[in-house]
Amino acid sequence: MKRSALAENVSALVFLSPFIVIFGVFLAWPLFYSFYLSLNKVTALVNVFDNLTFVGFQNFIALFKDGLFGWSLLMTLYYAALIVPLGIGTSLLLAVLLNNKLRLSRLFRTAFFLPYVLDLFVVGIVWTFIYSPHFGVLTRIFETVGITYFSEQGFLGRPATAMPAVVIVNVLKGAGFGMILYLAALQNIPDSVYEAAEVDGASWWQKLTRITIPLLRPVTLFMVIVGVVAALNAFVEVFAMTTGGPSVNVGERAYGATWVTGYYLFDTFYVRLKLGYAAAMSYILLAIAVTVSLINLRLLRPKTDY
Amino acid sequence: MTGSEKTKRPVQPGRWARTAVLYVVLSAAAIVVLFPFAWMIMTALKQPGTEFDPEFFPKQPTLENLKRVFTEFGFVRYFLNSSIVAVSSALFATLFASLAAYAFAFKNFILKEKVFAVIIASMMVPGLMYVVPQFAIINRLGWMNTYRAMIVPHLANVFGLFLLRQYMTTIPKSLIDAARIDGANDFQVYGRIVVPLALPVVATLFLLTFQFHWSNFLWQLIVTNKESLYTVPVGLSMFKQQHEQLYALKMAASAVSIVPISVIFVFAQRYFIEGVTKGAIKE
Repeated sequence: MKRSALAENVSALVFLSPFIVIFGVFLAWPLFYSFYLSLNKVTALVNVFDNLTFVGFQNFIALFKDGLFGWSLLMTLYYAALIVPLGIGTSLLLAVLLNNKLRLSRLFRTAFFLPYVLDLFVVGIVWTFIYSPHFGVLTRIFETVGITYFSEQGFLGRPATAMPAVVIVNVLKGAGFGMILYLAALQNIPDSVYEAAEVDGASWWQKLTRITIPLLRPVTLFMVIVGVVAALNAFVEVFAMTTGGPSVNVGERAYGATWVTGYYLFDTFYVRLKLGYAAAMSYILLAIAVTVSLINLRLLRPKTDY
Repeated sequence: MTGSEKTKRPVQPGRWARTAVLYVVLSAAAIVVLFPFAWMIMTALKQPGTEFDPEFFPKQPTLENLKRVFTEFGFVRYFLNSSIVAVSSALFATLFASLAAYAFAFKNFILKEKVFAVIIASMMVPGLMYVVPQFAIINRLGWMNTYRAMIVPHLANVFGLFLLRQYMTTIPKSLIDAARIDGANDFQVYGRIVVPLALPVVATLFLLTFQFHWSNFLWQLIVTNKESLYTVPVGLSMFKQQHEQLYALKMAASAVSIVPISVIFVFAQRYFIEGVTKGAIKE
């Protein structure tokens, strides 16, 4: 029955080849190709790919001097700073509520999870309508309780509330995802742990903070990553709802209150066709993503085995 | 509640009150999460011009908006395109991932661990990073405005490979060996033993990739500029730009665009949930 090593390798290759070819051409090679593009500049807007000029690291140097890029990183950080705690809080709350052996809990689980599988662009359009000034339903609801702060510009038209409004849409849409993870983790905590704590006279609050939350740590760390990645990839929601605005004046310059790096990247590449500059920008995104992932791996490793 | 719980805790007097409070809080949360969709549907049923009426239920409900979405605008075509793209992407991505997963789970070949590590490491790369170089590659290949461009770049699903390989490694080796002794070759082992056993995970992956491609917006926007190739989200974005004020129509178009995924979700929820729990944290 012994098969030669060569035959084994060949048959493995047959199974691997479709995946590996696509992976190579569309996932591995682009990382190198993107680096090449980042060292070039588009010199004519027609036939972009035949009009590239090698400029060395100029794009990267320009990026570091580009105030708008710095601003976009700041907005991305702001996005992450909002979505991480809000996402974790909402998911955990829903999971804790559902972890109560209620008769209808499956129905609620379905309700909370449904938006996660729906199209973010569509969800963005719907919320834009809800957030509208004057007649938007949420604006009206606020008016009925006497808050007219949003009446003139809506939620997305005010620099102070645009970003939180965008993030809340994504939090409500994605909460089901974190909820499922927290729920699975909660159900993995043996009842005996809580029983022992009860014997020791632990309160509801102590059980939550001393047992539940620490044991959910791996999920929480994962959720941090998910939030950071969502911030780095934030584009569709911004495109659907604010197109980077509304404008805020900082000193002499005007910036967009939701001008995240993902949107700037799209604008640079798709609207202004500055491929090289966009490629350089995406390398900065990559560097951030890899750094965050590595930090997470460090944090996740030691404590998982309990 | 009816005593089905083990008698580990004494029955608390506040039990019913607690249940009631839980239901109130859960219902409130469900309203917050689902209200936008309900509002969308109700608006889609309102007469044009009355979209901003504060009533939840339309005074004179109409199906006219839904009809116009299909008759006056190109949504029939967009649905067809989305279906072609999402079904073929899901099919091939699942097939390729399962083939590769088989090799990683059951075969020995040179550099196996290293190749796997490199593939998995690519999950760290943010999706937006790929947009520029993939677009450039598609241009060089002359694939702009083709279904190929919308489908092929996403056929190596790393997450799916990971998910399937994890599952396949739990299949007892003895099953595989027994089949081998009976003279089965790799394709027979793959097709008759491994895939049938991994079917729930295969289904999960198929549904997740279908859902991803149905909703994929940025990429389809970038590689197409012909209306005949628009997918539903791209068509919707063009519609939104051209008819900013037609709210009832916009909501009707939005509503119909999420129908396929919602229906699939209702019937196959557990696969989506398994995809999430199995994929996220597995060490």
